[in-house]
Amino acid sequence: MNRSLIAKICTIAVILGIAACMFVIGRGHTVYFDAKSVEYNGETVEPGYRTAIFVNDERVARLSAGDRGMATCIGQSFKFRVEVTPEKGADPVPYEFSIKLPYNMDGIVLNVPAMIAGAPQDVYLSEFVSMAVEVSTDAEEEIITDEFSLGDI
Amino acid sequence: MKKSFKSILLDNSVPIMFIIICAICIPLSGFSPTYLINEIITRLGRNAFLILSLLIPIMAGMGLNFGMTLGAMAAEIALIFVSDWQIWGIPGVVLAMIVSIPISIFLGWMCGNLLNMAKGREMVTSYIISYFLNGVYQLVVLYMMGPIIPIKHSTIKLPRGYGIRNTVSLLNMRQCLDNAWAIRIQGVKIPVLTLCIIALMCLIIVWFRRTKLGQDMRAVGQDMEVARSAGIAVERTRIISIIISTVLAGFGMVIYLQNMGNISTYASHSQIGMFCIAALLVGGASVDKASIGNVFLGVILFHLMFIVAPKAGAVITGDSMIGEYFRVFVSYAVITVALIMYETKKRNQKSNAARQLQLDQEAEEA
Amino acid sequence: MEQTNTTTFMDKLKGWAHSFGLPRLIIAGFLLVLFIAAPIVGADFWMQVTNTINRFSWNAIMVLAMVPMVHSGCGLNFGLPLGIISGLLGATLSIEFGFHGFMSFVMAIVIATPFAIIFGWVYGQLLNKIKGGEMMIATYVGFSSVSFMCMMWLLLPYKSPNMVWGLAGKGLRTTISLEGYYDKALANILQINIGKLSIPTGAILFFALLAFLMWAFLHTKTGTAMTAVGSNPTFAKAAGIDIDKTRTLSVIISTWLAAIGILVYEQGFGFIQLYMAPFYMAMPAVSAILIGGASVNKASITNVIIGTILFQGIVTMTPTVMNNMVHMDMSEVIRMIASNGMILYALTRKSEA
Repeated sequence: MNRSLIAKICTIAVILGIAACMFVIGRGHTVYFDAKSVEYNGETVEPGYRTAIFVNDERVARLSAGDRGMATCIGQSFKFRVEVTPEKGADPVPYEFSIKLPYNMDGIVLNVPAMIAGAPQDVYLSEFVSMAVEVSTDAEEEIITDEFSLGDI
Repeated sequence: MKKSFKSILLDNSVPIMFIIICAICIPLSGFSPTYLINEIITRLGRNAFLILSLLIPIMAGMGLNFGMTLGAMAAEIALIFVSDWQIWGIPGVVLAMIVSIPISIFLGWMCGNLLNMAKGREMVTSYIISYFLNGVYQLVVLYMMGPIIPIKHSTIKLPRGYGIRNTVSLLNMRQCLDNAWAIRIQGVKIPVLTLCIIALMCLIIVWFRRTKLGQDMRAVGQDMEVARSAGIAVERTRIISIIISTVLAGFGMVIYLQNMGNISTYASHSQIGMFCIAALLVGGASVDKASIGNVFLGVILFHLMFIVAPKAGAVITGDSMIGEYFRVFVSYAVITVALIMYETKKRNQKSNAARQLQLDQEAEEA
Repeated sequence: MEQTNTTTFMDKLKGWAHSFGLPRLIIAGFLLVLFIAAPIVGADFWMQVTNTINRFSWNAIMVLAMVPMVHSGCGLNFGLPLGIISGLLGATLSIEFGFHGFMSFVMAIVIATPFAIIFGWVYGQLLNKIKGGEMMIATYVGFSSVSFMCMMWLLLPYKSPNMVWGLAGKGLRTTISLEGYYDKALANILQINIGKLSIPTGAILFFALLAFLMWAFLHTKTGTAMTAVGSNPTFAKAAGIDIDKTRTLSVIISTWLAAIGILVYEQGFGFIQLYMAPFYMAMPAVSAILIGGASVNKASITNVIIGTILFQGIVTMTPTVMNNMVHMDMSEVIRMIASNGMILYALTRKSEA
């Protein structure tokens, strides 16, 4: 009796442990990359002519100055590679970054020129606050509760 | 010999009927074999786990568990939370399964207790329980989520500030299980991980049948009174079988929804029980006997019919809705026929037993 | 002396409350609260009463259809949609044949009757084969027939331009307006209007007539035989009653009443609803009679009347009162929980069966 109780408690503990683990490693973030000019140390840091972003060796964005790109990341450690083409026709300059994303932010904006300039986190990183979602077209969304669904199964 | 052939035919009449329906509809629909195989494998991965959850209550003699809907509701609630917490990918799927466990256990425990109060009409009771809890589910999801149960993201909340939207997107965990380890053979995508999970579940069920608890369940399923006199806690065993079924249905629903990629908050669960039960019966199972083989044969035949019927119906009658209605009709008709066959069999057995008893008594007297 | 009197009275009250059942008390209390709350929150009281009476007149006959099958021991008729389909066939054929006004209502009943008898007979034969498992199979017979008719509504060669899809010229519409046919055919007979209160006397009288006939039938020899079959089959068999035949008769009556019930419902509602509409119509009727005090194997005309008033009262009152009170419409959810909870309660009670 006692042994089975201990076994039960252990099982529950293990399951809770897995759940806690999932909370940490499964947290998803949407990361936005800005190729925009930024004020840092009293100077203006300008973006290059073209900025290409690679995550896991896959190009997720190719930005002109002033553009914004997007990628998703599961977990808090985020690694990506940037290739900046300073001006038209020039060779791209690669940079590697590995940063910790803050857990509580869903959307994160990274300013790439600031990162390249070596600015601290509070300069290059800010939270993305979505506006577009609030303006939903379905303001009076009808709730279908008792329908007979003929849909796909 | 001839008689045994006839009885085999009779025992498998439902699968045979379905093979004939499919054989007629497939050429009419004009789908390519690759497309069909692809669809069947997708649906096998999507539905097999859910249907496996039905096996244990059948073993315990409680019939087709229409209350598996409860597990589906638990899974949906868990997935709503997980998508609000923004846990993505496989971790999200695992977390959703874990979160669904306590809800499933609670609902299953409740369902099991109610079914113990309604012995002999478990099926209709579990059926009504699923409706009743659908009401409770709506109360929770439509009114309590938001003000009482915190939901942060406006993407899943209704604009009015409480309640969940009609569809909750699971874009970030869409097919994450299916795509992990997926291989493609000549354009057919095989979701190896999902199939592995299903295979594992089959092994667990086979193992479970041999455990003490599994044996008890079979004893209870055969005869409650005999089991009771053998010292088995009948009520407890029955409750456990329903709890296990509900929890498994919850897991199955998570797998199902990660494949679909979104939750129809108020509709996903409502028909799932019916379709799963129909598929199991198409596979040749009956109310008191079902095997793992029935599950797979059932998924393949039932879904083959489901894929080809609308197109074939459109070809025959010129109206695509006919096929849609046809497949719904067939699902219901299969369940009806299976229920009728089960009840007549039960009644025949009873009257045979009574006749035997009478004969015995007469022999004794003589 | 007085002491004993009060105790017996209290005992009586307790016994009465016990037999009435806790869920029923809760539902009756809930309705009472709604009626008291309605004027306070600013809902129009007489409007509510009118709605309740109207909805009673629409639904009562379908609830009445439960009675014969409960009496003969077939349980609650979850197969009500089968009868509803006979009614729908009668309604659509009556319009198709070009009948108008009140005549279309009469003809709908006339045409529906043979369908109801045939369907009811087949359904009764089926239920005789599966004694003990009636309710589950009844549910699925209902569902199968509804989904089968979904195909038929599209395929049958209906021509009347008022009923078929305008563009395709074939296949019946999901809802068909009864204007010019039997819209309010019964309700308008002898309708009483006092201020805001209006009573559809004709429809209520029609129900009263059928209810009286049912009551009278249950007191005939065949009727008492039916009750005997339900309450004690062994005794009935010993008394020489043909059990299967009696049960079949009860199923036919139930199916026919369901057919009439849907026609009366339509004349009040003003539309014929086809396709999936009959699907869930058994549930409200089943829970209404249970709320009225019936159980799986006992039901009376009083149960029908009380149950329908309580159930329809809640259905009409909750949306308005709720909307006025908290500005959210929880009526659908409350209806689902109350009606299914009631069925669940009846099924899980240690019944005499």
